[in-house]
Amino acid sequence: MNGTFDAEGVRRDALAAIAAACDLAELEAAKAAVVGRRGTLTAAQRSLGALPEDERRRTGAAVNAVRAAVAQAEAARRAELEDERDRVVLAQEAIDVTLPPRTPPRGALHPINETMDAMLDILVGLGYRVVTGPEVESDWYNFDALNTPVDHPARTLKDSIYVRSLVDVPPRADGTTGILLRTETSPVQARTMLAQPPPVYVVIPGRVYRQDTPDATHLPMFHQIEGLAVDTDLSFTDLRGTLAELARALLGPETGLRFRPHYFPFTEPSAELDAWHSGRWMELLGSGMVHPNVLRTCGYDPEQVQGFAFGMGVERMAMVRHGIGDLRLFVENDLRFLSAFA
Amino acid sequence: MRVPLSWLHEFVDPGLSAEGLADVLTAGGLEVEAVERPTGGARGVTVVEVRSAAPVPGSDKLTLVQAFDGEREWEIVCGARNYQVGDKVPAALPGAVLPGPDPTRPVEIGRRKLMGIVSNGMLASARELGIGDDHRGIWILDRDAPIGADLTEWLDLDDAVLDIDVTPDRGYALSILGVARDVAALTGAELRVPETLAPDGDPGVPVVIDDAERCRRFDARRITGVRVGPSPAWLQRRLAAAGMRPISNIVDATNYAMLETGNPIHAYDVALLAGPRIEVRTASPGETLRTLDGVERELDSDDLVIADADGPVGLAGVMGGAGTEINDGTTDVLLEVANFSAATVLRTARRHGLHTEGSRRWERMVPPSSAPVAATVAAGLITRHAGGAVVGGTDHYPGRREPEAVRLRPARARSLLGLDLDTGAQQAALEAIGCTVNEGAAGELAVVPPAYRPDLLLEVDLYEEIVRIHGYGRVPETVPSSGAAGGRSPRDVARRAVRRALAGAGWTEVMPFPFVADADLAVLGLDAGDPRRTTVALVNPLSKEESVLRTTLLPGLLRAVRHNANRQTTDLAIFETGPAFLPPTPEEPGADGGPTGVVLPAEPLMLALAAAGAFEPARHDRPPRPVDLYDLLGAVEVVRRSVGGRTLEARPTDEPPYHPGRAARVLLDGVDVGVVGELHPRVVAAYEVPARTLAGELRLDRIVAEGVRHPVAAAPSPLPGLRFDVAVLVDEGVPAADVEAAVRAGAGDGLTELTLFDVFRGPQLGEGRKSLAYALRLDDPERQLSDVDEAAAIEAVARSVAARVDGRLRR
Repeated sequence: MNGTFDAEGVRRDALAAIAAACDLAELEAAKAAVVGRRGTLTAAQRSLGALPEDERRRTGAAVNAVRAAVAQAEAARRAELEDERDRVVLAQEAIDVTLPPRTPPRGALHPINETMDAMLDILVGLGYRVVTGPEVESDWYNFDALNTPVDHPARTLKDSIYVRSLVDVPPRADGTTGILLRTETSPVQARTMLAQPPPVYVVIPGRVYRQDTPDATHLPMFHQIEGLAVDTDLSFTDLRGTLAELARALLGPETGLRFRPHYFPFTEPSAELDAWHSGRWMELLGSGMVHPNVLRTCGYDPEQVQGFAFGMGVERMAMVRHGIGDLRLFVENDLRFLSAFA
Repeated sequence: MRVPLSWLHEFVDPGLSAEGLADVLTAGGLEVEAVERPTGGARGVTVVEVRSAAPVPGSDKLTLVQAFDGEREWEIVCGARNYQVGDKVPAALPGAVLPGPDPTRPVEIGRRKLMGIVSNGMLASARELGIGDDHRGIWILDRDAPIGADLTEWLDLDDAVLDIDVTPDRGYALSILGVARDVAALTGAELRVPETLAPDGDPGVPVVIDDAERCRRFDARRITGVRVGPSPAWLQRRLAAAGMRPISNIVDATNYAMLETGNPIHAYDVALLAGPRIEVRTASPGETLRTLDGVERELDSDDLVIADADGPVGLAGVMGGAGTEINDGTTDVLLEVANFSAATVLRTARRHGLHTEGSRRWERMVPPSSAPVAATVAAGLITRHAGGAVVGGTDHYPGRREPEAVRLRPARARSLLGLDLDTGAQQAALEAIGCTVNEGAAGELAVVPPAYRPDLLLEVDLYEEIVRIHGYGRVPETVPSSGAAGGRSPRDVARRAVRRALAGAGWTEVMPFPFVADADLAVLGLDAGDPRRTTVALVNPLSKEESVLRTTLLPGLLRAVRHNANRQTTDLAIFETGPAFLPPTPEEPGADGGPTGVVLPAEPLMLALAAAGAFEPARHDRPPRPVDLYDLLGAVEVVRRSVGGRTLEARPTDEPPYHPGRAARVLLDGVDVGVVGELHPRVVAAYEVPARTLAGELRLDRIVAEGVRHPVAAAPSPLPGLRFDVAVLVDEGVPAADVEAAVRAGAGDGLTELTLFDVFRGPQLGEGRKSLAYALRLDDPERQLSDVDEAAAIEAVARSVAARVDGRLRR
């Protein structure tokens, strides 16, 4: 360094450069020219050591004063420039936020399967185990094991879809073959009881089939869930409580319910549960205490165990959940319908 | 069962509104589906007398009638001519209202001019009044109909009708009297049972019953001197309200008695009965019968028939014969009030496809006790309304059985019902429905059900009656605990995980029927020996075309693709999970068929996918991206991840129904799970799906066999790793998977990421060559990696690709 440190000159030049900076980069350069590695102030600082004691003290104080002034001016100008950038530059970078969002390709689960899962979840929460069985059944499991009378109309070709024998057993006089598309998920009740000792708490979801032409209220293939509980002391009040719990979980805690007598060959006493929906009673569940003949056929002693069974249609619940009035929509596989469930 | 309230009130009247009674019955097991007023709607219709009738000049159809309403005569122009002077007929005078064809829009009647004559309203047919469907002419009312009376009041046209859905066990409720019994039991109201008259005197027609099992009782009553004509208006009105068409005073009487008592009745014209004699027997080979509906029927040797000396005159419990039918000239009537077994009627009705009001009741068990009750009602109506007198009758009752007591253990009933009902309360409930209850041994009760309840056979049947009379609505709600954690099987959990993952990745779940045609499988191009060509056939398919069960899910999915494409939805990606149905083999058996030894098909759980058009649709900033094989493989990769599978391997395959160069067999953790690919152009054409439709089918049962496996995760290295790229130059024919394997092997155990980021072909590489560029990441948790490690790794990769795929690194 040559001569004495020109504190006033450095301060003036630095403040002028800072004031003249048009953007943050220029400001950074102006600051570097003073306090950077090769800045004038840095050089002055470095040369302090060579000065005599009193001059060193005086010059040091001057350097510090300039540094403080520069720092203050730089911060003030930085704030100004950042404000300007925020105001101008970011504004220029604005994009149209109303353009469509970018999503992964859109898929959907079928409303019947989703409704069925929701129903299963409720019963799983009550401690039921989900079990399944084959869709092509023997009439022994589908009818005989469930106490269905020999002459019951459900056994005829008019009501059920029969399958040709796989081992060339000729059909009976009435055309039936002993093998059919199951008409209910109930045969899995029999399969379950024959396979394990009580207690049994199971829920059976699945597809079932009837000899029906598709229309707004009928399908040849539809879905059921059935519950079966057999234990030492289950009673009719347990049946009603379980059904009510299930119905309220599905339709809401304030749902009006009606429990009334009905008939099923595989239960006695039998009952149906109606729910008040859209201004009328809607049949929700068929149920009853498992018939002693069914227990006996499935290897349980009706004097030792007792229990209940219930079944409900999944399609009806899906119609209620989604405001659907025509069953055919569920099986037409029209993506304009199904994409609503994406 | 349609129950007119006025009819019910003849036997019981609990003082409830129709709606209130409907609630009581529904709560008691007789579900009232609707409360209707089917004969209502007419207002201000008056009973008038025809004073004169003359043709309207200039018209060959119209008649001018002078009708007297008790105060004055009205001129009414009428199109029908079935009445005579002196007849009483219904007149809708100006201001009257008729129900009209649409019940929500009643029709007000005014004056109108016909052929220049002012008609003061109209004379009405039964149909125009909403009573039945008779529109052959003006409704001729009873001779003693009160002139000037309001028809609605006189005939109780506003009578409410309860439409009851009767369950198969409650056959008794297919009668007014049966419903009345339940009303009395459920409300405590008094039941008035009509007096029953036993038959008396020789009817002159011998009755022989061959089979006392099938025909347990036969009450025959003979009425002579009848005159066939219309029934009184009130009776016609009630039949119509109950849903039956009025025919004649004889036939209506039998139908009325059936509706009232539940016991079907048939009436024969004795003059047409050969013998005259009656035999109840099964049909002989070759016998035929022309039934009332005019159909000539060949009889089966299992059909129970009523025969006279010449042969069958009726199908027992189902329908009478045309040859002995009541007709306008009948004067001598024999009533058959029999008891047929449910099974015999059911079989005959089914065999002949003849389901009648009668057969419907027999099929639900009519008790023999009701025969004389019904006979009394029918004979009474006939003598009252058709003249004549009962000249004799016989009551054959070979199938009489002593009523059997059912044991009831009150403690067991309490346990099963969960109700604190003491023995007295249980006894009272059973007595309310007519049971006779006696004390048995050890606190048990011996319960003899009433004759009208043949359905009460077991102790549990009594439990239902006890709780029904107690009130289902009063049963408390308790929720039992299974005492165990519920849940889905690992397999079901995995299936759900797969479905949800696919839906999240852009695939939409569909639900086709599993019915296909053999031709659907043939056009897939499957070899004749392919197991999927051997189908499980249906006996009675919904349609002849689709008469077998699917062996693959592809036809259903491709039909769904076509269905959508035909509706302008051409960008789609769909999937389904569900069973295929295959004849069982030792390797793949079906489920156990039970003690009858039935062989069931194998039902492997499949996952099928199909896609066409753009997988990613066009956006303003991006063109549509057509679906290709890698989207299908991507779906398989999504499936792999959803079940926690470790590895996915794709191998080229040239099998149908796929494009021979664009299909891959996929292995999950080394297990062959199926094929995905672009469909062969021939299959595309046969199924009429969009060009370059892709599909695939996987064995979901194998994929979910172990459930969702939990991933095992290592802690990431705390030290910085290395990232670098390599480009591998290989021959065009080398599969990318082989190159990747070589790179992986060369990079060693420290490799934590490997991404193929570019595939390049160009003249500088040489003909038939390609360059695959990979980004790698190496990590070592033990030490910091350096440039030296990077160089060593690249050398190792270079050696590996040279050795394994004859490739070299581009540097």
